[in-house]
Amino acid sequence: MVPETHIITIGNVLRADIRGFVVASRIPEPEVPTFGTFVRAPIQQGSADLVGLVYDIRLQDDPFLRNLAATVTPGDPRFDEVIRDQRENRAVPVEISVASVGYRYCDDPNYAYGLPPQPPMVLHQIVVCPPDEVRVITSSPDFMRALIDNQDIPADELIPTTLLRAANLYPGSAAEFLLEAGRYLARYLGRDPVRLEKILLRIAH
Amino acid sequence: MLHLERIRGDIVALGRRAALEQARRQEALELAHQWWLSASDTEHLRRHVQPLTLALDRWDGAVPCTGTPISAQIPCPDSAPNDLTVIGADGSQIFPDRHALVLYYLLQVGAVIFRYTGEAPDTHTREWLHYDERELYDRNGYLIGSDTLGMERTVKEMEVLADITAQERKRSPARVLSLTDGPLLWPYLERGHSASAALQAYLSALRGVQQSGGVAVGYVDRPGGRPLLELLWADQLAPEDLASKAGDNPLSVLTDYDLMAHSLAPGARTTWFTRPTATNQRHAGEGQEVWFYYLNLSLGPGDAIARIEVPAWAAADETAMTALHGALRHQASVLNGYPYVLARAHEEALVTTQDKTALEAAIQRELAESGIFAQPSEKARQKLLLGRR
Repeated sequence: MVPETHIITIGNVLRADIRGFVVASRIPEPEVPTFGTFVRAPIQQGSADLVGLVYDIRLQDDPFLRNLAATVTPGDPRFDEVIRDQRENRAVPVEISVASVGYRYCDDPNYAYGLPPQPPMVLHQIVVCPPDEVRVITSSPDFMRALIDNQDIPADELIPTTLLRAANLYPGSAAEFLLEAGRYLARYLGRDPVRLEKILLRIAH
Repeated sequence: MLHLERIRGDIVALGRRAALEQARRQEALELAHQWWLSASDTEHLRRHVQPLTLALDRWDGAVPCTGTPISAQIPCPDSAPNDLTVIGADGSQIFPDRHALVLYYLLQVGAVIFRYTGEAPDTHTREWLHYDERELYDRNGYLIGSDTLGMERTVKEMEVLADITAQERKRSPARVLSLTDGPLLWPYLERGHSASAALQAYLSALRGVQQSGGVAVGYVDRPGGRPLLELLWADQLAPEDLASKAGDNPLSVLTDYDLMAHSLAPGARTTWFTRPTATNQRHAGEGQEVWFYYLNLSLGPGDAIARIEVPAWAAADETAMTALHGALRHQASVLNGYPYVLARAHEEALVTTQDKTALEAAIQRELAESGIFAQPSEKARQKLLLGRR
């Protein structure tokens, strides 16, 4: 897992819109962020930060690895160094998809939840949000609003995963945090009981 | 757009000619193989070709270095690489482009340090961005070309290898083999002051590898040239015909690669040769004369032929050369005949199109902050648009 304060430099934003963006990157396997990780990217010439959630990670075709797979046998000591090189060093070509959750202007400590005024531009760094920042972002269940409304992402998996991870940041009040999130979802998804039940069951488990 | 129908006749002629060439080459190959097997002993060969070697650069043949018969096939040692570090280095560049938004060039060298200890290898990259006009234009005012950039890159590769070799030797007493992807013998013509300075810097870096306790190794994959075939032809000539007929080699439709792919067993290497060229004499003057052998790195029937070049002082170290042979065989077994450490060094060094786009966007941003709004030329913009089709 990525250390929470680790900075991941992204090569190029491939596609971006208000609801999220996809970046192409070549980073070593241990640095690839996980599903449901909060990330931050500067927007509006650096005057604001967009926060979003990683909802998809795609490994791109890697002919070099395909070539190796035919000759290298895991467990064979002759190939220990090669296998460790592939796992620990080698830049894996990945596409990381991020859904927008909210944004914050640099001179304002409060987050505005929902879609940002502008998507991030090319060549900005994506930073994995540290625990303190995740606690601030998730302190209001409103952070889920943009996710619930986004039809292009696996929101029903992403929301419970994010809530369960964030709950670990509230020692002693995790149950209360989840309960409040559940109440918010019940209000927001009152007209879609099937979807609501699906998400709540995931949280309950 | 290419109108294939207009060159249909040429395509057919090309195919027929290739078939004829193939038959000629097969005959020549059989002849070369016979000459190789029945070659004179090495002492005789050295004496025989001496008149040719005295005319530096006029004869492009090889000279055997040891008493081992030139048709000997030295098998790969059985033992696995041990107490050994293999460093691979490679370089890449962005050429200066007068149609780009700004004139610059970039060199990048990547290296992989592969220790036979079970650990993950270490990786290393260094890069140089040049934008000063004095570096971009030659003395005649022309934009520097691929040769100038190639020379600088070759020097940087060897300097990086020397640095890493020194660091590695401080870290561990293990033997260090420092591989570069390409010949060890300086491959550029020594024309003008800057070429001489580059060669001097290269030889200095080569000496640096030696002084650090490493062995510099040039790895030439699928080598061109026919120094061995020239030697075999010279062996067929009477001494009085050497000067007049050395240029009439009937094996000239082949390269050494063809003969080795046909005759050298998988895993085996030939004996040592050297090339009596003026450049190699410059190397020798600095104690870095280059010797070479051919090696078949295919795992079975196949043709993964490489030319391995090392300094003569290293070739005399039998233990080091046995380690090199075994390490190359192991490295190549991972990637079907090409050393893993060099493939990875290439990957580390490579400046991709994406990298170039990112670099130019960063430069453009920096220029914009200084109030300069640079654009690529209209020709470059149109090519970019058309290239997307």
